[in-house]
Amino acid sequence: MVAMRDGMVRGIGLALAVGYATFIAWLYIQQPQSAAEVTGGFSASIGSYRIDPQAFEDGVQFFRRDQFVEARTAFERADPARQDARTQFYVAYTYYRQGWGRFYQDDELFAQGLEAVNRAIARAPGGRIRVDDPGLQMRSGEELKAELEAGLRRDASDFNPARLLGRRK
Amino acid sequence: MTATREAIALPLVFLTVALFGGLRIADRVALRPPPLFALVLSVLLLGLLVRCGALAAGRLVHGSRSRLANLNGLVVVLAAFLASAQAFNVATPESGAPRVLFNLVFLILLANTIAASPDRVRVLRSLLVIFGSAFIVKFIVLSALSHPAEGTVTRALQVLFEGVTLGSVTQDVFHPATGYIAFGTLMLYLFGLVLLPAADRGGLKPAATYRTSLNTNREENKLEE
Repeated sequence: MVAMRDGMVRGIGLALAVGYATFIAWLYIQQPQSAAEVTGGFSASIGSYRIDPQAFEDGVQFFRRDQFVEARTAFERADPARQDARTQFYVAYTYYRQGWGRFYQDDELFAQGLEAVNRAIARAPGGRIRVDDPGLQMRSGEELKAELEAGLRRDASDFNPARLLGRRK
Repeated sequence: MTATREAIALPLVFLTVALFGGLRIADRVALRPPPLFALVLSVLLLGLLVRCGALAAGRLVHGSRSRLANLNGLVVVLAAFLASAQAFNVATPESGAPRVLFNLVFLILLANTIAASPDRVRVLRSLLVIFGSAFIVKFIVLSALSHPAEGTVTRALQVLFEGVTLGSVTQDVFHPATGYIAFGTLMLYLFGLVLLPAADRGGLKPAATYRTSLNTNREENKLEE
């Protein structure tokens, strides 16, 4: 009886330790920023994570009216765990449009945009994200990422006067 | 050692240390894995613990134990290794000259302690002093030097200090919670070390026990006389 109890304790302990170690490794890989991201990440890993569709729609409406800060607040409400690729794509796009300027790009906003689009690509199945929104000129993660990276790069093309004729995408 | 302590308490304690040892809270929350040098120090520390008898590896993994018990023992050793690495990670400054200096001092202290071959109690006391001192220097002294000063004079002195040291001493500023979590983590780690199964030293007695046995022998001799 004692041996059986001993074996049970050892078995439970082993399972607990392996589970806890896996959880720790997952945390170190995912680097979540809040408790919502931890729980959302878990839900996403078992495929049960859902965004708030109403908040997402609100975010898209704000985005179309160029109210980028409001749009991000709504997207944050829709996807608090930052696990939905499409929402994160829109978040990245808000940073791009807000940071775009005819004379210069806002590096800080572009850097945040790049972070968001990287997150979107990482969350998308197979790393491929495509958003079919007619209001967007860049509909894939690759295009948006390239545009944000180009905005952050410093090279001779920054002094090309033709840049002034460029249009926000 | 009970099965509960070996299979549940020790792994949970050490894994918790491994989790929180890398936690840094600033404007973002970051979980930093142990650097390579911390892994080297961790190996040395485990060697020291085995040598001084604070960790009896034979009581954790042995041919006479069942497979499940050996697995539990292996988990304890691995968790203790990771926890030690993260304990060094949390106690070492993040950058610059202090980081290099701390790593060097840790290495020398561990090598020196291994060479001295002290007993379990002395090693545990020594580790308390090592980690305690490192904590004070990192989270109190260096933090105070790196934290943005409020007064004009203090700010001027800080700028002067940074100029003299070429900015190699000042560290990233963390949220105060980081220090509290680091303190708890180090205490938990030392508690875990105390819980480890100790070796039965037999003839090799620690100094205090040796003195007691000498006194007992003297009393026995007197009675014989």
